[in-house]
Amino acid sequence: MIVIDKSIPLNDLPTGTSAFVSRITGRPDHVHRLEEFGLRGGTRIEMFRPGNPCIIRMAGNKVCFRADDLLRVLVEPDAASD
Amino acid sequence: MPTSTENASLCVALIGNPNTGKSTLFGALVGVHQHVGNYPGVTVEKRTGRMDDAGRRYELVDLPGLYSLAPRSRDEMVAVDLLLGRRDDCPPVDAVVCIVHAGNLQRNLYLLSQVLELGLPTVVAVNMIDVAKKQGVSIDSARLQQQLGVPVVAIQANRRIGVSQLKAALARAVADDPSPGETPFPEPFENEVTRLQSVLTDRRAESDDRKPMPRCLIRRLLLDTDGYLVDALLGDAESGAVGELEAARTRLTEADCPVPAIETKARYDWARRTLDGVVTEPGRYRATGTDRLDRLLTHRLWGTVIFGALMVIVFQSVFLGGELAVGWIDAGSEALGRWLETLMAEGALRSLLVEGVIGGVGGVLSFLPQILILFLFIAVLEDCGYMARAAYLMDKLMVRVGLSGKSFIPMLSCFACAIPGIMATRVIENERDRLTTILVAPLMTCSARLPVYVLLIAAFIPNTLYLGGLLSLQGLTMVGLYLLGIVTAVAAALVLKRTVLRGKTPPFLMELPSYKWPSPRTALYRVAQRGWLFLRCAGTLILSVSIIVWAALYYPHNADVVEAPFHEQQRSLQSQLDSLPPGDLRREDVQRQLAQLDHEIAGAYQRQSVLGRAGRVIEPVVKPLGWDWRIGCAVIASFPAREIVVATLGVIYNLGEEADVESEQGLTQLQAKLHAAVWDDSDPPRKVFNVPVALSILVFFALCAQCAATLAVIRRETNSWRWPAFTFGYMTALAYLGALVTYQVGMWISG
Repeated sequence: MIVIDKSIPLNDLPTGTSAFVSRITGRPDHVHRLEEFGLRGGTRIEMFRPGNPCIIRMAGNKVCFRADDLLRVLVEPDAASD
Repeated sequence: MPTSTENASLCVALIGNPNTGKSTLFGALVGVHQHVGNYPGVTVEKRTGRMDDAGRRYELVDLPGLYSLAPRSRDEMVAVDLLLGRRDDCPPVDAVVCIVHAGNLQRNLYLLSQVLELGLPTVVAVNMIDVAKKQGVSIDSARLQQQLGVPVVAIQANRRIGVSQLKAALARAVADDPSPGETPFPEPFENEVTRLQSVLTDRRAESDDRKPMPRCLIRRLLLDTDGYLVDALLGDAESGAVGELEAARTRLTEADCPVPAIETKARYDWARRTLDGVVTEPGRYRATGTDRLDRLLTHRLWGTVIFGALMVIVFQSVFLGGELAVGWIDAGSEALGRWLETLMAEGALRSLLVEGVIGGVGGVLSFLPQILILFLFIAVLEDCGYMARAAYLMDKLMVRVGLSGKSFIPMLSCFACAIPGIMATRVIENERDRLTTILVAPLMTCSARLPVYVLLIAAFIPNTLYLGGLLSLQGLTMVGLYLLGIVTAVAAALVLKRTVLRGKTPPFLMELPSYKWPSPRTALYRVAQRGWLFLRCAGTLILSVSIIVWAALYYPHNADVVEAPFHEQQRSLQSQLDSLPPGDLRREDVQRQLAQLDHEIAGAYQRQSVLGRAGRVIEPVVKPLGWDWRIGCAVIASFPAREIVVATLGVIYNLGEEADVESEQGLTQLQAKLHAAVWDDSDPPRKVFNVPVALSILVFFALCAQCAATLAVIRRETNSWRWPAFTFGYMTALAYLGALVTYQVGMWISG
C-alpha cells in the first residue's frame, strides 16, 4: 500500500488555509525550541501571511516564524478547511 | 506564638511566558517599591519589589519571560538558579506565582508543569480573561484548580481585577506544604531518574553528608542535551556522572523515550489532559480587531509605508522637541555661567565651575530631551504591541546583515542618539544579536556629529550644483557621510558575527501580541526609569571627563608667562581708548582690537596648557592624516562629547569662548579663520585646511567612538568593561585608518 505524504513546506501554505504540522526537520535543539513553543506534530495552524518570515495563527495567537536552510516545518493542509 | 520565620520577609518569584502581562501584574503588586538592577555576570535585568499584605512582607522577584525552564545560556540559567535557591545574591524562594495567558493555556501549561515539579508552593494567575473572551474562549478556573491541585486565581492585571484574591491565595499557599503531584513523564524515564539519584549528589552541599540531588534537577540534567546545565551543576568534579547520563539517555532512546523530545510530548500530553473540561473554544477561529489591523499593518507594501511614515514622525518629533529643549538648556546654563562670573573673582575655581561643571552638566542635560522623547515613542510602541510588527516588516532586510528584525528599531534610534538605541536593544532576546547590535550602534551617524559636519562641509566643500540645482555637492557629501556610517556598521556586524561573536542562532520565532491601548502610566514610568538610569551612569561619566578636559585645557595657568607679550599692546590700546572722547566713532574700532587681543590671550593660554602641549606631542601621529596640532587638540578635547570640537576650534583659533559659533556670523568667522590657518613651521606659509584635510576630519568623526556617554551605556547594558573598551578600540582604529586613507588618497588625487 502506498502512503502519500501530502506535506508541504509551511511557507507554501496559502493565506487562510489551515493545516496540521506533520513534521519539523532541522537541528535537534532548534526543533526542540519550536516544540517547546507549541509548534509540534499535530498542532493546528492557519496561515495569516505567507512568505519568509511568515505569520501564522496558532492556538489563538499570531506568531512570526522564519525558516532557514536547516530548519523546515512541513504541514499537511486541512482537507476540511475552506 | 509567632516563630521567627513569620516576621522575616517571604521571597516570591513571578514567572510566566512573555506577553502575559507579567510586568503589569508585578507593578500592580509592588507599586512604586520597585528596584531594577543587574544579576552579576549576566545581562539579564534583575527586577525586585516589596509588597506588604495582611501584616506580612513579601520580596517579589520578577523573573524574565520564559517559555521553558531548560537553560541554554547563562542568562536563562538565572531563572533556574533562582528558583532552586542556588544564587548567592538572592534568598531561597518561598513561593512562586505563575502567570498564564487565558488565550493560550496549552503552551503556558508547559512552563507551569516544569514549575510545579520544583515542589514549591505555587499559585496560578490566569490573566487576560477579557482578551480570551474576545476570541470566544472561556475558562473554568474552578475546574482548573481541581485539575492542577494548586490555587488558581483569575485576574485582569491591567484593571487590577482579582489582585487582592491573588494576594490572599498567596498568603494561604505559603503556609501549605505542597505535594509533588504525579509526574507527567512515562515510567522508563522515571526509572532512569531513580537510578541516577544514587549516582549524582548535589555539589552545593558543603557537608560530608551529601544531600541527594532533587528529582526535578536530575530530570533537567537528563533532558539537558545542550550540556549547559551539566557543565553548570556537575562541572569536572564528577566526570563519571556525565557517562552515566549518556548511558541513561541511550537506554531511553531505545525505550522509545528519546531525550529531549520526550519532555515536550509528556508535558503537552499532560496539558491536554489537565485542560479537559476547562477550556471551551469556538470551532472556527474568530477574527479579532487585532487581526483586522494586522491585515493592513503587516501588508508587504502598505505596512512598510505606514511604518516608514511612523518613523518619520518619530524622528521629526525628536529633533524638534530636542531643539526646543536644548535652546532652553543652553540659555539657562549661559545665564547661570554669567551670574557666576559676576559673583566670583577670576581664577581657577570660577573657570572650573563655569566651563567645567556647568559646561559638563549642560552637555549631559542637552542629551536628555532627545533621549526622553525617543524612549517615550519606543515605550508606547512596545506597550501597544506594534514593535513586533515592525520587527516582522524589517526582518527580511536585517537578515542580510546577519541580524533579525528586532535589531531594526534600536539601530534606527541611533540616528538621533546612540544612547536610547543601545538601551532599546533589551527587546532582542538572542544574546549574540543583541551584543552585535550594541557594538555597531555607535557607527550610525548621530545628531551630535551634525555641527561638525555642517561647519566643515560649508567651509571646504565647494557649493557646486548638479541637475539644475537639484543636487549639491555639499548635500551629497552629507549623504555620503551617513552612508559611510551605515555601510561600516553593516560590515562590522557581518565581521563580528563571523569572528568574535560566533555561535549558534536560535530559530526566529516571535509572538505578535494582541494590540492594546498603551497605558500612559507604564510608558511614563518606563521613560522616567530609563532617563534616570542614563543620568546616573552616563551623566557622572560625562561630567568627570568634562572636568578632566577642562583641567587639561586650563593648567598650567601661568599668567605672567602667557600674558606678558601682550601687555604692551594692551597698554597702548587702552591709552588710545582713554584719550578718545566718548561718542567718538573710533572708540568702537579700538574696543574691537582690545577684544581681539583678549581672544589671542585665551588662545595662548590654550596653547601652553596640558592639552595644547599634548596636541603638539601627538602631532607626528596625526600628521599623516593631514592634521596639525590644533586639530589634534580639538579632537582630543571632544572625546567626552563630539559637539565640543566646534567650540574648542573656536578658542584655539582665537575666536574666544564668547564667539557664538552657532550663529551665521560666528560660523563664517570660524570658517574664515580655518581658511587662513597655516602650519606653524612652514615657510613659505602652507595652508592647513584643504578638501582632503576636511574630508579626513569628517571621516574621523563619522567612525570614531567619541562619546563617553555611549560607552558608559554600553558598559551598563553589557554589564562588563570589556565591550565598551572593545568598541572604543575598534572604532578609534577604524577612524584613524579611514582618515588616513581619505587624506592620502585625496592628496594623491588632487596633487
